Amino acid sequence: MKKWVSMLLTVFVAASLLAGCGSKTQGNASTGDGGAFSGKPVELTFWGDWAGEGQKQFETMVDAFNKSQDKIRVKYVLQQDMITKFMTTATSGGAAPDLVFWDRWRTSLYAPKNVFHPIDEFMEEDNINKDDFYTEALKELSYDGKLYGLPLTVDARALFYNKKILDDAGVAPPTNWDELEQAAIKTTKWNGDKLEVAGFSLADVGLFNMYLQQAGGQMMDETGTKTNFNNEKGLAVLEYWNRLLKEDKVYKIGFEQGLGEGTDAFVTGKLAMQYTGPWMLSTYKKYGKDLDFGVVTPPVGPNGDKGSVMGGLGLVIPEGSKHQREAWEFMKWWAANKDNALLWAKTSLNIPGYKPAIEDPFFQEDPLWKPFLETLEFAKIRAQHPGYSVMEDDGLIPNLQLFQQNKLSAQDALAKSQQRGDQLLQDNAIVE
Amino acid sequence: MASIGKLNRHQEKMAYVFIAPTLLLFAVFTIIPVVMALYLSFTNYDVLSRMDWVALDNYQRLFNDSLYWTTFKNVIFYSVIFVPLNILLSLGMAMLMNFKRFGIRMFRTLNYMPTLTSAVAAATVWIWLLHPEFGLVNEILGWFGITGPAWLAQTETAMPSIIMVTLWQSIGSNMVIYIAGLQGVPDYLYESAKLDGASAFARFRYITWPQLRPTTFLISTMAIIGALQLFDQAFVLTQGGPGNVTKTPVYLIYQQGFKQLQMGYASAQAFILAIAILIFSLINMRINKAEEPVV
Repeated sequence: MKKWVSMLLTVFVAASLLAGCGSKTQGNASTGDGGAFSGKPVELTFWGDWAGEGQKQFETMVDAFNKSQDKIRVKYVLQQDMITKFMTTATSGGAAPDLVFWDRWRTSLYAPKNVFHPIDEFMEEDNINKDDFYTEALKELSYDGKLYGLPLTVDARALFYNKKILDDAGVAPPTNWDELEQAAIKTTKWNGDKLEVAGFSLADVGLFNMYLQQAGGQMMDETGTKTNFNNEKGLAVLEYWNRLLKEDKVYKIGFEQGLGEGTDAFVTGKLAMQYTGPWMLSTYKKYGKDLDFGVVTPPVGPNGDKGSVMGGLGLVIPEGSKHQREAWEFMKWWAANKDNALLWAKTSLNIPGYKPAIEDPFFQEDPLWKPFLETLEFAKIRAQHPGYSVMEDDGLIPNLQLFQQNKLSAQDALAKSQQRGDQLLQDNAIVE
Repeated sequence: MASIGKLNRHQEKMAYVFIAPTLLLFAVFTIIPVVMALYLSFTNYDVLSRMDWVALDNYQRLFNDSLYWTTFKNVIFYSVIFVPLNILLSLGMAMLMNFKRFGIRMFRTLNYMPTLTSAVAAATVWIWLLHPEFGLVNEILGWFGITGPAWLAQTETAMPSIIMVTLWQSIGSNMVIYIAGLQGVPDYLYESAKLDGASAFARFRYITWPQLRPTTFLISTMAIIGALQLFDQAFVLTQGGPGNVTKTPVYLIYQQGFKQLQMGYASAQAFILAIAILIFSLINMRINKAEEPVV
């Protein structure tokens, strides 16, 4: 029965959180806010979950900031299991970090719990112009009219294509659904019942959101509490997938499963086109001449609608931080300054959330960055609902997979996704 | 008489002193968390901002949560195939490895190896082996003119694949336990049976199998508990897909608790799972009737 221990791990962690409660609060109250008055610089703790290369990129920024002035000293602390650690400090009132590197989409789940400090006042005092940032990214960091952080990176998926395969097949990079279908048909190669080259990747049904926008639809209705894809627009997406997968046979289920870097189907020339984001650029560029690829904005749908999903990371200040003002200084220096945002962009090879930095030739004159910048102009963030990701993962995606495998008709898949999705949204909504 | 009573009482006291450290650890790491989980399952605890009593709300929601019951169906299907196969294969291996031949130790070690690998690392390697186009498994099937399925991506083969991988990994340690059990069976039983002209099958049926009952009980109980708590391999191999056919209760508990911050609801889910494990273990006990071996 020893396994009981491991089975109740969940509970045990919760228990240890509570146990930490009493003691840590007291311990900290006595040390209080020291160092604020003396000539000594204020020490800030900055938490992130990037290790290796990412850690070096963070440290480049931290060092540059520390050298630029002598009032604030920032230290990067790597937290592998950042969210859990953060929850521990938030409940215990213990050594909370002063800044947290934040997956923006989580904001709608955490902000209602009042664990972050709004930055609206700081923004106003320092005259930071909100129009200098991607509006969608700021929206994703907001809850109930308050802004909780600034974006460091923005990303969205666009269409990657293998130039050589497309040239050999005599097709141009597609600009709409029909062209994409034709290009995929022409680039697909079967050897008997073995797929040798897939024309277009249909591995990730989680990209439904993106296709739905291209078909002119939206994932959620205007109230933001219910799904809105069980209609002719959702059906248009599934019918399109059905054509590609079953009639045109440009892909095979499971084709890319488990293929990591080095065996990536796109790298090895087994995949002609796929949707992916700017985070793959540095990986693919490594292959140099062996992989001649291009990027275009996502093909538009039947009525010319554009669609892509914006994501990315930002910085937030925990409510438990004792140096929120200083933390803001660092955030402002990094995310709202043209030179520094650009330094960050070039160091980490990410598109910064600060628009003036994007004017730089580094982005404007690179044919691989340009399509992403264009895509970001119309890309939309995921719906701001704390249950949104669960709705997609447990309500929508399983039914879309069943549809792909002929276990459900398109209509049934959408109907079931709606029913399950609405329930999950309701179960995971914020309860005041 | 009086002095003996005193001695007994003294020994009794000392016994409690000796088991006190273990009991303390057991209380801190098992009993208290269990009691707290029970309490939390009646609250809307979210780690960060609240812990209010909501009575039976979590349990009510749970009974209407079709996904939770789907995951239960998945692990029960998994258990029904995994547990008997596990016993059958590990006993079979143990009997093979119990022969005294040259190099048998090496074979035992080799068969034990999969147990030593980390579940996640082994599962990652299996993803490659099971790849539909470039994987070794389908490559071999191809030699015989068979087009193998997309093992992990198809609803029909996803769960069997997980069963196969977990079997591969758990047979080794159970084999070792069975070998120990087999070596504990007294030789004279076999000798007298042979004198009476019992066939090899009869010797297995009437000596080996009954003698191994306590071992089988141990192995089947551990297998049932492990099966109902399936997580690592399923998570790495299929992430619960396709179409939720490999999603498990522990996966949902983790997601509700740590990703959606609904610790109260997650505790309720964990409690129902614990009760289910208890029920299946009791059934197993009845079937196995852990009676004394026949010596």
